[in-house]
Amino acid sequence: MLQWLTTDPLNGIVVTITFFISLIIGRYLREKRSQSGYRGRMIDSRIMIFAAFILIIAMTVMKNWHIPVIISILCMFIALRLGIFRDYTKKIIFPLVLALFILAIQGLTYGVNIIDLGFISVYSEGIEYGSLIFSRVFASASVLVLLVITTPENELLGSMRWFGVPGTIIEICSLMTRYIRTFSYEGKKLKLAQESRCGFSREQGFTKRMHNIASICGLLITRAFARSEEIYIAMISRAWRPGLQYPKDYLPLDKRDIMFGLVLSFGIIGLIGLDRFL
Amino acid sequence: MKSSLVDLGGLNIHISDGILEPRWILFWYVLSAIVIAAGLRVINKRIAVDPVYLPRISLIGAVVFVISVWHIPVPVTGSSSHPVGTPLAAIIIGPFAAVVISAIALFFQVFVAHGGLTTIGANVFSMGIVGAFGGYLVYRSLKKFSPLWFSAGMAGLIGSILTYLMTALQLALSLNPENVMYYWKLYSLGFIPTQLPLAFAEFAFTGYVIEYISRTKQDLIGTEGHGMDRFTKTALVLMVLITSVIAAGAYIGYLGGSDMAGVDSTVETLAAPDADPGGIGVRLMARFGEPLGFAFVGIIGGLFTGYFCTELRRRT
Repeated sequence: MLQWLTTDPLNGIVVTITFFISLIIGRYLREKRSQSGYRGRMIDSRIMIFAAFILIIAMTVMKNWHIPVIISILCMFIALRLGIFRDYTKKIIFPLVLALFILAIQGLTYGVNIIDLGFISVYSEGIEYGSLIFSRVFASASVLVLLVITTPENELLGSMRWFGVPGTIIEICSLMTRYIRTFSYEGKKLKLAQESRCGFSREQGFTKRMHNIASICGLLITRAFARSEEIYIAMISRAWRPGLQYPKDYLPLDKRDIMFGLVLSFGIIGLIGLDRFL
Repeated sequence: MKSSLVDLGGLNIHISDGILEPRWILFWYVLSAIVIAAGLRVINKRIAVDPVYLPRISLIGAVVFVISVWHIPVPVTGSSSHPVGTPLAAIIIGPFAAVVISAIALFFQVFVAHGGLTTIGANVFSMGIVGAFGGYLVYRSLKKFSPLWFSAGMAGLIGSILTYLMTALQLALSLNPENVMYYWKLYSLGFIPTQLPLAFAEFAFTGYVIEYISRTKQDLIGTEGHGMDRFTKTALVLMVLITSVIAAGAYIGYLGGSDMAGVDSTVETLAAPDADPGGIGVRLMARFGEPLGFAFVGIIGGLFTGYFCTELRRRT
């Protein structure tokens, strides 16, 4: 123990000083935050979409599975911490089905070095490549799922104009989002009414059941057609006209958001560099 | 989009993030953006003449989205899955508007992790462009010769099959560029157990829906169609005849003990004995695989001949 003190003290002094100064600063920041009632500021949804997009792009250029796996685990922890793990797992299943399908096809067909598993033979190159694709899909889907769960959809749609999406698409989007719920509700009511009249009985064959579903769908389409006339009249009465130019009413980005976005972008580029280094 | 609305089930064939290579992401985005821009142009032109068209396509788009996430029973497999929906949309609102609607619907489907942000271009191309245009062309071609339910049903069937064939091609091009044709077939075969029965379900579904609408609101679909002119009919008859002759010849050869190796050796000895083995044609075939290379040649040749035939006829 004593020999530690008799040798070069520089490293020990540096680590001690930095640790305790950081400790004091950390305590001070925490107290200041609790005093001011600071609850944390939400990151601007535009920055979140941008960062998620470039992170997903970065994942697709990665040549090793390490970073995608770390990101997937990190996303799982975030989902657990936010209390959305169940929703996260439900949503992540669908992309993983396709990823597993690709892993199976690559493992069974791609490569030259055969690994005999007893009941089946697979190719090592195919397994390696398929695993890389699987890890990429897992990580990308995790990031996407976290984005859509934590960002309200009206914010996502609102930021579309900022990204330069044409006005017609935004108009169609806003009308569609409003009426998807309405028609979904109406469709369910119609289906329930049909069910109560034994329209979906298990005893009925494929043709009859399909006929019943199609009748409901056809009815929904004709209702949508009729309702569109009413909406048009309502839009006209609110001074809407074709080719109406909407004001660019989105807020400018906050300086801190820009900084945060830049740091994230450089961090993501750094991850690509790290992946090449691995 | 709440989960109650979009309780999707079964294997969906939307490509997720992380599967496609960046150059293919960009390629499909650019291709889809061109068609979406054309679709927007068509919609804007139509809105200028008929302003009610905007709420109409939006509402019908909303319904088609709702329908496309409903489960329909799939024969043989005993399970249920959701229909593609774009052939149905193309029949009702036109293929260009259907492409725009499908792009928006795919964006919404990202909210339930179906598809992905970076793969919207690829998914719009397979589902929106290939599915909608393929289905719509089948519908318009068959409408004059067959009952409405059958032409609409065939549109659903072909649109669905084309969508999954295109998805398989997209996967093969990105994941296995060194052997595209082999992996295209492999991915297509892999999709068959779920997608082929679904295509038949889509046949019944689209046929019934269009039949229902035609009985209750005929003006929504429009009964009059553009019939085929003499030139188109002759071309289609010739196509079927020549294909039949080739197929019959190959079958006779097969019965006679031929190895079905094609006419390569005949062409090399009789038609082009001095052909350069490293020529652009050979390299193209090696790059894309023979069927895709011949398809490319067929498309270019057909377009060129069709264009100049029309020009010649107009002059004379």
